[in-house]
Amino acid sequence: MFSVSQDFAPPFKLISPFFILGSLFYLLSVIFLFFFSVEELSILDAKMLSFVHLFLLGFVMMVIFGAMAQLVPVVLEVGHFGVELFYAIWPLLGIGTIMMVFGFVAYPTLLPFGGTVVLISMMIFVMEIFLTIKKVQKFNLVITSMLLANIFLFFGIIFGLVMALGYAGMISVDIGALLRGHVFLVIIGYIVVTIMGLSVVLLPMFGLSHGFSKKPLEISLALVSFAVVFVAVSSLSGVVFLSYLGYLLSSVGILLYFYFIYTIYNTRARKEIDIYAKSLMFSYFSLIASLVLALFYFVDGYEMLLLASAWVLFFGFFTFVVTGHMYKIIPFLVWFERFSPLVGKQKVPMLADMLPQKSSSAQLVFGILGVLVVLAAILLKDETLLRAGASFLLMSALALVKGVFYMINYK
Amino acid sequence: MYTKEELFLAISTVIDPEVGFNLVEMGLIYDASCDDEGNAYVKMTLSTKACPMHQLIQQWVKEAVQKMAGIKSVEIDLVWEPEWNITMADENVKKALGR
Repeated sequence: MFSVSQDFAPPFKLISPFFILGSLFYLLSVIFLFFFSVEELSILDAKMLSFVHLFLLGFVMMVIFGAMAQLVPVVLEVGHFGVELFYAIWPLLGIGTIMMVFGFVAYPTLLPFGGTVVLISMMIFVMEIFLTIKKVQKFNLVITSMLLANIFLFFGIIFGLVMALGYAGMISVDIGALLRGHVFLVIIGYIVVTIMGLSVVLLPMFGLSHGFSKKPLEISLALVSFAVVFVAVSSLSGVVFLSYLGYLLSSVGILLYFYFIYTIYNTRARKEIDIYAKSLMFSYFSLIASLVLALFYFVDGYEMLLLASAWVLFFGFFTFVVTGHMYKIIPFLVWFERFSPLVGKQKVPMLADMLPQKSSSAQLVFGILGVLVVLAAILLKDETLLRAGASFLLMSALALVKGVFYMINYK
Repeated sequence: MYTKEELFLAISTVIDPEVGFNLVEMGLIYDASCDDEGNAYVKMTLSTKACPMHQLIQQWVKEAVQKMAGIKSVEIDLVWEPEWNITMADENVKKALGR
């Protein structure tokens, strides 16, 4: 018997904190919703900025970083440069996020310190990924997308730190102008490009899809990447035309990406619509809904349309693409650590047996209801609907936390 | 020492925990042979290059063959050509996955 290399499966104790903390931050983000009133919903409101950072840093980035510890070697087909560095990333990201959340709502002087702690955690992550990519002999579409995404993240957090210093009154900068660049670099440049790049590996792997063309993804990645650069340059230079060009290119790129996902779905051999497939279906329809709402905003100029677009992108697309993959990645890691040594010696569970059927269904159903009801609340400016939607999401978040602990403790 | 069919039968004890089917009915085992000295050879693929269990699955195949009496060595040849697709799987697999 030869030993199994850990190159492609880092120890679970290294990755599990990312998933546990991520799900808890999601729960906190949902609880935060109860402190909003529809009258004060505004893009640049301090409470809104606090909420967005709690959700994006604490939940989305935390889970993506944890997933990357597992997925990077699988996708790049090389071992990590220094996987132990991930032990430092989650505490720093968690502490930095909490400091930023309080910095926005109550103590502005905390912001640059929180921002710096987040910056350090992200720099460790970005450098680890760059040094891992350096080991790759031959570049492909996924590796290129990962490299681009991490370059965007690098500049995105620099923009963010400058803004945090300006917000705390330490330097004088045009925060409004930098905001567009920061948002596009981090949200579209890092999160969306990462999801786009990884989807060419993960979706066909889980759906057993073959024979689809990667050309639409190549074009859409190029369009979205140019869009991010244009918007970032526009926010620094003040050339507004570049921003509009960026919005247009990113919209076309995302539509093309949706078409690519459709071709993967159509060529899949595995027709079962499990919790993973259901989560992804809702997430991709949310992505399109977000795009449509953003287009309406550009025509109409009504701020609630922009808020609604961001809401559906964050809680519809990001949340469900993340939770869907959590139901695949966590059972695999637990199975690999706990049951793979027992194969051939005793009966071991299948990965599907390790899924929390009831709580995952509750998370999905209450989550979809919550997203739709809050969407209606934003568009109609209805306080009761906001509370109702937040209540559905609270049920969903509790189910997610329960499900995460169920999978992690599966014996 | 052993026929291809006997080797395939031994390897069919290896189950992919993600889909729940054995590697032989999935069509992932392309060829197998064994000389008179007990040196076995298995040519196989995986459903995707990015399979995070690729090392484990190869190990299980190796162990499944090593359990056969008189086997001295097992060589696993992991290939990507021809690329696996669902048409290579048995009818029962296609039917079950297609539901």
